[in-house]
Amino acid sequence: MKQKKYLNAITLLLSVIFTVLLIPFNVDAQMIPDERLLPRLVDNADLLTNSEEEKLLDKLDSISEKHQTDVAIVTVYSLEGKTATEFADNYFDYNGYGFGPNRDGILFLISMEYRDWAITIHGSGIETFTDAGQRYMTEQFLSYISDAEYAKGFNKFADLSDQFLKQAAKGEPYDYGHLPKKPLAWYWLPAAIGLGVIIAFSVVGGMKANLKSVRRKVGADDYIAADSFVLTDQRDIYLYSNVTRTAKPKESSSGSSGGGSRGGSRTHTSSSGSRHGGSSGKF
Amino acid sequence: MAQLLDFKCPSCGGAINFDSQIQKMKCPYCDTEFEMDAVKQYEEAIQNEHEQDDFTWNIKADSNWQEDELNNYAAYVCMSCGGQIVGDTTTSATSCPYCDNPVVIAGNIAGDMRPDYIIPFKLTKEQAKQGLRNHIKGKRLLPKQFKDENHIDKIRGMYVPFWLFDTKADANFRYKGTKTSTWSDSDYVYTKTSYYSILRSGNIAFNSVPVDASSKMPDDLMESIEPYNIAELTDFNAGFLAGYLADRYDVPADDCIERANHRVRQSTEDRFRSTVSGYKTVAQENSNIKLSDGKANYVLYPVWVLNTSWQGEQFTFAMNGQTGRFIGDLPLDRKAYWKWFGLIALIVAVLAYAAAWLFLR
Repeated sequence: MKQKKYLNAITLLLSVIFTVLLIPFNVDAQMIPDERLLPRLVDNADLLTNSEEEKLLDKLDSISEKHQTDVAIVTVYSLEGKTATEFADNYFDYNGYGFGPNRDGILFLISMEYRDWAITIHGSGIETFTDAGQRYMTEQFLSYISDAEYAKGFNKFADLSDQFLKQAAKGEPYDYGHLPKKPLAWYWLPAAIGLGVIIAFSVVGGMKANLKSVRRKVGADDYIAADSFVLTDQRDIYLYSNVTRTAKPKESSSGSSGGGSRGGSRTHTSSSGSRHGGSSGKF
Repeated sequence: MAQLLDFKCPSCGGAINFDSQIQKMKCPYCDTEFEMDAVKQYEEAIQNEHEQDDFTWNIKADSNWQEDELNNYAAYVCMSCGGQIVGDTTTSATSCPYCDNPVVIAGNIAGDMRPDYIIPFKLTKEQAKQGLRNHIKGKRLLPKQFKDENHIDKIRGMYVPFWLFDTKADANFRYKGTKTSTWSDSDYVYTKTSYYSILRSGNIAFNSVPVDASSKMPDDLMESIEPYNIAELTDFNAGFLAGYLADRYDVPADDCIERANHRVRQSTEDRFRSTVSGYKTVAQENSNIKLSDGKANYVLYPVWVLNTSWQGEQFTFAMNGQTGRFIGDLPLDRKAYWKWFGLIALIVAVLAYAAAWLFLR
């Protein structure tokens, strides 16, 4: 019995120690909630008008429900000393974003203080939004945000997310070498018109030249008497020569070819211990 | 050796002298070295170049018209444009081949020069009309009126006076030629340029270089329907004129010579130049052409002619009556021009944009 008492005491002691050890951890690290605590659009930096907000939120909700993946947009004023990626990851984790047990989702964050942006992805979002895919998306919508056309940029982000999720549902997410076709750059329109004008000019120019057939004769070659051309003296006298030299252009060392874009998504682990993918930058 | 001191450097023009150390001629200004023999030959060639070009011609005295020819043919003049033609007196109503207005008899042709030779018409009016149809076929920018058959029917056979010049040419040419070779080592690319003096002398003969002797007929048009086959040249007989018109000669041979000289010179230069090969660059430095045995004949060449005025402008078409070569500038239909331009530009622009859309995204 005595032994059992000891055992109980040890167990108690250990539990106390454990509890003591665990308490600060639990207090410091917030719990990942089971339910999403915030709407899919959080405009803390107040970049959108109320009606824009309303419409965009509707859009995000319907896309998210449709694909069972949260598509969220967060604007803040400051990253509170964190990097954009850390902030986005934490925001995603501790506010319970993500659909289903795997917490599938994508969150786009912009912070106005130093004009940072970040995308964080989680769960199945990691497969859906690959690194190459995110690069493609940001190329399409980030310029609007840089130009302070926030509503346009966010809507574009939502549409692109929709497009990517649709493609992923087919089992073949967009990735390096397999991206949606970009819209044609604007200069192709004037270029095509210019080409048309140039070609049309040369064709009708040819048609116009076709109308002209009167030309003076340059020589009298037709009237050279047969075999009448005789050379009586023919000398090629070497006079002199000179040599010039030019320095060879120094060959510049060939630039290192970049690491090359690989497919898929690189991931990291956020402070809450969950695996995230994503990208970030300035706008 | 003493006179060699006067030699000029072929490279820079400075006086060159003999360098005893290298046993060569050397230019003290540009340091170029020359072989003694080359300098001598070059200097000799230049010494002989003081002669002037000589383009002199003997113009054959004309023969006189025969009695019956004078009775049957008359000179006509157009009261509208002043064009002068020769035709047989039996053709009562004749219209001017240039402006379509009626012509009147101006007098007999006794004072005119009688042609030495003639090339008779070989192609019929029907063939001339076909020639015109072929000429305008596929010309999309041609105004529609020009395809009108009534209009085509007005094509007319006319003998056009020409001077034919025969001559021999003696010529000397000097060219400067360069040859280059390049090689390189690790640091430099070397280019060696060698300079040559190229001498060509020889002779060449020309037969029957034609020059239009009618001021009314455009010279460029007449040159465009060349050449005529002079093997078919026959002695002139007024009988050949029956049923055709003949343009009246009004440009004397002396005034035509310049054009003949120009063409003879051009061909002579081209022919001699063609014997210089193997050089990277060739520049003619001197030429000297002397003509000899030059003579001129007065002949009639057969031409089918159609004159048309369109929007105040005169368009003349001509067909070589011997070979069938058809020439004539055609007017441009501005509307058709821009229509085609717009259509092509649109199609190409759409295709280019579509191609860019498909392949360049």
